[in-house]
Amino acid sequence: MEIKEALKELGCINAITGFEKCASEKIRQLFESRGIPAKVDPFFNVVGRLKGRGEPRRKILVTAHYDEIGLLVKSIDERGFIYFTNVGGIDSRILPAQEVIVHGRKDIPGVIGAKPPHLMEADEADKALRMKDLTIDTGLDAEEVKKYVSVGDPISIKSEMISLSGGKFSSKALDNRAGVATLLQLAAELKGYDHCCDIYLCATVQEETGAAGAVNLAYNVEPDLSVVVDVCHGDMPGVEKEVAFPLGKGPAIGVGPILNPEMTELMISVAKEENIPYQVDVEPRTTGTEAWVTQVSKMGIPTVLVSIPLRYMHTPIETLDAGDVKAAAKLLARFFTAVDRCWNCPEKPLELGRLEVK
Amino acid sequence: MISLLEKLTQAFGVSGNEEQVRDLICNEIKDYVDSYHVDALGNLIAVKKGSGRKIMLAAHMDEIGVMATHIDDKGFIRFTNIGGISPHIFVGQKVRFANGTCGAIFYEEKDADMKNLKFSKMYIDIGASSRAEAEKKVKTGDTACFLSNLTVQGEFAYSKAMDDRCGCAVLVELIRNLSQTSNELYFVFTVQEEVGLRGARTAAFQIVPDIAIAVDITRTGDTPEAELMEVQCGKGPAVKIKDSNIIAHPEVKRLLADCAGKNNIPFQYEVLERGGTDAGAIHITAGGIPSGALSIPCRYIHSPVECISLRDLENAVKILREAVKQA
Repeated sequence: MEIKEALKELGCINAITGFEKCASEKIRQLFESRGIPAKVDPFFNVVGRLKGRGEPRRKILVTAHYDEIGLLVKSIDERGFIYFTNVGGIDSRILPAQEVIVHGRKDIPGVIGAKPPHLMEADEADKALRMKDLTIDTGLDAEEVKKYVSVGDPISIKSEMISLSGGKFSSKALDNRAGVATLLQLAAELKGYDHCCDIYLCATVQEETGAAGAVNLAYNVEPDLSVVVDVCHGDMPGVEKEVAFPLGKGPAIGVGPILNPEMTELMISVAKEENIPYQVDVEPRTTGTEAWVTQVSKMGIPTVLVSIPLRYMHTPIETLDAGDVKAAAKLLARFFTAVDRCWNCPEKPLELGRLEVK
Repeated sequence: MISLLEKLTQAFGVSGNEEQVRDLICNEIKDYVDSYHVDALGNLIAVKKGSGRKIMLAAHMDEIGVMATHIDDKGFIRFTNIGGISPHIFVGQKVRFANGTCGAIFYEEKDADMKNLKFSKMYIDIGASSRAEAEKKVKTGDTACFLSNLTVQGEFAYSKAMDDRCGCAVLVELIRNLSQTSNELYFVFTVQEEVGLRGARTAAFQIVPDIAIAVDITRTGDTPEAELMEVQCGKGPAVKIKDSNIIAHPEVKRLLADCAGKNNIPFQYEVLERGGTDAGAIHITAGGIPSGALSIPCRYIHSPVECISLRDLENAVKILREAVKQA
């Protein structure tokens, strides 16, 4: 129930990449309400910290980005139609007939127009529309539009969370509010555990255009372990099994060259011991997540990746199973316990992943 | 401003060989700043001391061009591009190497496939009749820029290397006409922007400013059948919203827009769908630096006839004069 509420609250927040400022305080309050003391940094990363009892303390940094893909006003024509471009990867074929909100001086509702079939040329119906040919209709004329809207204003696609059957939910921006929900649940799982290390739970900005938020945050926190929580593709018709993961079978643990082998192995063994469902996500290249940048911050940070399977990524109906969020939070909590124990074992001082340069 | 712009645009400074531009700028500003130095990569960093916030302003000195890759037996030079340029732009152009040697660029006539023209099918003719003769003037690895004078007609100016010598000109003018401020100002003339925003990255790491503003050119949508873009040449400097590398920080956007708006200086907003500038590297340096950019609208970018409005340049200086005070 908790997770559903969190997803619902997070799903209705608008935080288009680069325009997260307006949402940062709301996210911070959500953190505080779940017992995570949190601050907003100059880039609007929400930085929560669960303080450890050790001295000196090692640091675990957990990041989940809270920015979402969206649109940006490019031009307003003489009749008041708004031309737009994308922020983050968007398939323009999903856009016609969507409801949008133009975030100008005030929020203005709009629709993305679509040409009626009656008026199409013979071959037109078979062709995909390009973003540069689509426009937003707010109902206002050019003069009125320009009063409230300027070039560069963000636009979000309107969407409300739909509860599907079988514990599944559908909404915009679950990439990566699913990750943020995991952080909130993780704090609940960690309650009462007396950890030595500091655990930073952070909702980050600007992942969708190159992970700028995580670049800056990893530099400033300088953790001993970086944990990235993001989404991976859920299985669906027409998509190869190798790149997509069934919903409800647990989070996917990333395995690949940029991810730390010892830490990843430890996480997998924890999942087995605790009977937490998990899947293995083979990531031969960049992972397409913040892990790519945290790994090479400063002198290098051992990094692991946990992903929530998500169908229809980068659409207004991204779909997931809340059970996977719950399992991911439990897995991370147990994993952190194991890491904390390893770091503080006097008999067997295991220098997990950390390369000491003398 | 025009004579300064002429000196700057005509100087040689293909990415990695910015020395001539740097020496020129040094001379222009040295009497107006508290200190200046050249860093390991070749960035020129000039400082006006202060006790307030640290503000970094960056304009890149380098320009796009070509690099000799091979000289054949008859003395013709094969070349590749430095920075993003279409081969078509080079057909029929003259280029100049750092030592003054000039050459004409043409393509292999036999089997010419103009639609898919490639640099590998083109060459530079420097009037040499053998490899030995050519090598007296040009070596493999030497770079060359366009040969193109500054032409001023009305408020518009055309030249090679407006990208980004017009930004350098704005900073030089700004340095000479600063008003009183307690902020500490870092004027950084960067290297190697055109090959991946490299100079700005290391400069920002040394300075770690509180905010950074790049001054560079941007595309316009005001030429016949241009891709849709609201920015127009001559309608004021553009406050960057986004490009390929950065979404400008809200504080910097507001600072620039307010300084223009409150002083009745015309300005525009820039949504650049392809391309980037130094701010893209600066904002993710050293734990993060709130960054943005003030852009000079420019037609025909990365060609020998890059075109800007002199009025836009003057207005950019005015906006920045206010911005470094208000920041």
